[in-house]
Amino acid sequence: MKNKIQKHEPDFYILFSTIMLVFIGVVMVYSASSPKALADFGDPLHLFKRQFIWAIVGLSVMILLMNVDYRILKKNAGIIYLITILSGLLIFTPLGIELKGARRWINLGFTTFMPSDAIKLGSIIFFASFLENKKEKVSTFRNGLIPAFLIIGLSTGLVYLQKDLSTSATVAGTMISMYFIAGMPYYVIFISGLASVAFLRFAIFSEGNEYRLERVKAFRDPFADKLGDGYQIVQSLYALGSGGLFGVGLGKSKQKFFYIPEAYNDFIFSIIGEELGFVGTTFVIALFFIIIIRAFKVAINSQDRFAFFVASGIGFLVAIQSLMNIAVVTSSIPATGINLPFISSGGTSLIFYLASIGILLNISRYTIKDRSIKNEHNS
Amino acid sequence: MKNPTRLNIRRLKFAIIIVSLVVFFLFYKLAKIQLVEANDLKKQAMRQWTKSLEIEPLRGIIYDRNGKKLAINAPSYTVWAYIAEIENPQEVAEQLSPHLEISEEEILKLITTGTNMRKLKQSISLEQAEAIKSLGINGITITEGTKRYYPLNNLASYVLGFTDIDNNGQYGVEKSYNSYLKGTPGLWIKSTDAVNRQLPFDGEIIYDAQNGNNLILTIDENIQRFAEEAAYEALVNNDAKSVNVIVMDPMTGEILAMANKPDYNINSPRTPIDEQTKMDWANLDSEQLQNEWFKLWRNYSVNDLYEPGSTFKIITAAAAIEEGLVNQNTHFHCNGFYREIPNVTLRCAKWYDPHGDQDLYEAFANSCNIAFINMANMVGKETMLKYIKAFGFGELTEIDLIGEQRGIIPMQPKDISDVNLATISYGHSVAVTPIQMINALSAVANGGYLMTPHVVKTIIDEDGNIVKNNLPEIKRQVISQSTSKIMLEMLEKTVSEGTGTKSYIPGYRVGGKTGTAEKIIDGKYVQDKYISSFGGVAPVENPRIAVLFIVDEPSVTYYGGTVAGPYAKDIIEKTLEYLGVPKEMSEEEIEENTEELIMPDLVGLTLLEASKLLNELNIKYVLEYKNISQESIVSQQFPLAGQEIDTNTIVDLYFEESKP
Repeated sequence: MKNKIQKHEPDFYILFSTIMLVFIGVVMVYSASSPKALADFGDPLHLFKRQFIWAIVGLSVMILLMNVDYRILKKNAGIIYLITILSGLLIFTPLGIELKGARRWINLGFTTFMPSDAIKLGSIIFFASFLENKKEKVSTFRNGLIPAFLIIGLSTGLVYLQKDLSTSATVAGTMISMYFIAGMPYYVIFISGLASVAFLRFAIFSEGNEYRLERVKAFRDPFADKLGDGYQIVQSLYALGSGGLFGVGLGKSKQKFFYIPEAYNDFIFSIIGEELGFVGTTFVIALFFIIIIRAFKVAINSQDRFAFFVASGIGFLVAIQSLMNIAVVTSSIPATGINLPFISSGGTSLIFYLASIGILLNISRYTIKDRSIKNEHNS
Repeated sequence: MKNPTRLNIRRLKFAIIIVSLVVFFLFYKLAKIQLVEANDLKKQAMRQWTKSLEIEPLRGIIYDRNGKKLAINAPSYTVWAYIAEIENPQEVAEQLSPHLEISEEEILKLITTGTNMRKLKQSISLEQAEAIKSLGINGITITEGTKRYYPLNNLASYVLGFTDIDNNGQYGVEKSYNSYLKGTPGLWIKSTDAVNRQLPFDGEIIYDAQNGNNLILTIDENIQRFAEEAAYEALVNNDAKSVNVIVMDPMTGEILAMANKPDYNINSPRTPIDEQTKMDWANLDSEQLQNEWFKLWRNYSVNDLYEPGSTFKIITAAAAIEEGLVNQNTHFHCNGFYREIPNVTLRCAKWYDPHGDQDLYEAFANSCNIAFINMANMVGKETMLKYIKAFGFGELTEIDLIGEQRGIIPMQPKDISDVNLATISYGHSVAVTPIQMINALSAVANGGYLMTPHVVKTIIDEDGNIVKNNLPEIKRQVISQSTSKIMLEMLEKTVSEGTGTKSYIPGYRVGGKTGTAEKIIDGKYVQDKYISSFGGVAPVENPRIAVLFIVDEPSVTYYGGTVAGPYAKDIIEKTLEYLGVPKEMSEEEIEENTEELIMPDLVGLTLLEASKLLNELNIKYVLEYKNISQESIVSQQFPLAGQEIDTNTIVDLYFEESKP
């Protein structure tokens, strides 16, 4: 059965949904950023032009990776991971840039680069190869659990050092999910559940992190302090609410006029809600849902475990980050700074997400036609 | 290479269920926000998007009766500071201080405290505004509004009044007609971004401001000038405390002029009018200064009371004639004193040289107190009070100005003692406002009708449509036409032969009555402080104007005929000439009016120069030439230079024919 599977067309649903999301992203970045771009750069198209170029670059990378056999990645998983880890460390060299109190960017001269986006993908690839190599031993303590959590700790810790809690959570969540489906022992699930609660308590209630507690309070009742800690959430709800069922029309958001800070970034979903209404937000969530479900389907139908873990890892990554972002803007979880994959403005994020989808699409070209059905028959 | 295990797939499916649940939950949240709570959220959002600004309406313009603008709106500039945008408050304060005429410390305090926007100074000039704009300071902006401007400065200041810095009327018609003048503010509702800039779409809803209505006064700028000039002269020449003048159309109740001297400039009501006042005010504390201002802003004509003195004899005479108690043939005897009341001796003004026997006209012209005491006794307390009230004393004239006083008259006949009745007959023991006095005089002159005096003739809107017309309004008829006619004759005789001769104008039939009263201060008569007045009507055959001229505390002499009469005469003569009332000289007037003159030498002058000279001397001349110009030279004249001539002489002029 090995290598017998014919290379075929990539998963159409993923391809279509991704292109739709990127398209919506470019249009919405234009709409949401124009007031800010006009005010700061004198050109309402400034951020749109950049996003458009990133989209072209990102889609090219996606098409390229779609055609590169993913097994090359497997062979080079270690090197890939090493490079992304090193890029993460570059932040602490003079090349690192500090913006708004956080050191998250590297200056490449012509543009800036956010290593955490690279670390996400590098970690998925390396962890997938680790999980495949360990096979059944992943469930053991010494050979599975310890090294797995060392890797998870390394990736997450590197991101956490950049004071980026939400991205750390995304990375950790993605890798733990991968470990979960690989066969994480149940007692670990239980312990890590407790550990996360303990960690969250620490992150929220410990000294020096009072702002997180305020955010939680603001989440409980954002309108109690709508000019202070609740401000962003309240503004986001105003935007979504004003949109109603059909929205106020493309380009006609009022909330983007500085009521929502950086409306083209973490809160772009609110602007989509305001301009395109419930119809628009539903459509965007549906597109994400299609990508996630299809990624899992690709994983299930993949012909080797590396592909299985990479595909499901990418599915988890998209799921965790997009749903977390939407949960924040709908005031379903406390506010945390995380952008919306494929849509929010920002080059590194877009390119690496499209690269991930490229890898996913490549894996989808080597799937067995519907293993799930076969399995059901077998079972 | 191994395929995914069943465990892998089972767990992945479990993960799919979790993801699906999360997605489902988010759909639920979105539906709740965007469908269920949408309206409420949108309402709150709209509240933060929309800002409403009041649009200031333009205040109505005030015109005189001929359409001359007396009060207009001038652009005015207000300086604002956006505190958050000011980078270096110390430097800004230093830069602004000389332009705003506010000390640096004060500016610094203003721009470093308070909320985000602060008014620094209101109504600065265009030059100041431009100077500040050219400094280009961040966070300092200038907005344009309007402020009241009175092009004629203190002219008619007491009628016009003034407004406060926010254009609310404070005094005069600015106050009494404030509701008409101020208009209705408009509203500008605009959608703005988070830093108050207008959004590029869904921009704005504007409810236009409704500008104020315009007033057309009954005041005539020219007559007002005559009145003010005369009042000022009287003030200076008599070294008086103050002078008050009202000129009224007796037929309609329209006030043609109303003036007080000293006055103030309504463009800056708090600035002393002259050096003397400035010095007087220099040492006052703020409360005293405020009192001085309030005193200065009082409109004597309606806000203050005075004892009318002999001008009130008009009322006594009118009552007696109307009641049929006296006529031309009634005679009065004056021996200088009145001793009928036990323990009281009242005396005539000319007690040292009693009037002796006099008929009604003579008694009036002589202003004989004794005759009027007798007249009042004939009329009786009850009837006398009835007429006093009927002429409008003790009640408001309802003139359209603020703060009108009722005056003080006896409440009931039983409040009038015998002495009171006697003194009331010549205008003591009563206190009236000037407007009441002239209104009563007008009633006497116009055939007996008490009118409602008013200073606003018409209210028109922005487009000139009439909003309200103050038509002449008769309150009541007080005396008959025939009594009015007799009164006018008596008034005329007073001016032509009696105490009012200083107001005699050749060519115009002027009627009038003088008055002098000792001032009452704190309820007691004060010696050597007088109020002297003259009330006049002209022309007697068809009264066009009534004039009341009051001089408060003249210091040189105090008889109303001397202190007030000549100035009232000035006003009457100028006004009648201005109104185009022809002068009709009687034979004797022409004779009396001719003056002896010496014929000037005109030879060698041009026609222009010669005619100017002759016009100045009021001498008529004739010339019969076709080919002369203004530059033609006089070659001969008759009568010759140096001869005695009179003003009736007509001079013949001969010219050198200009050469072709």
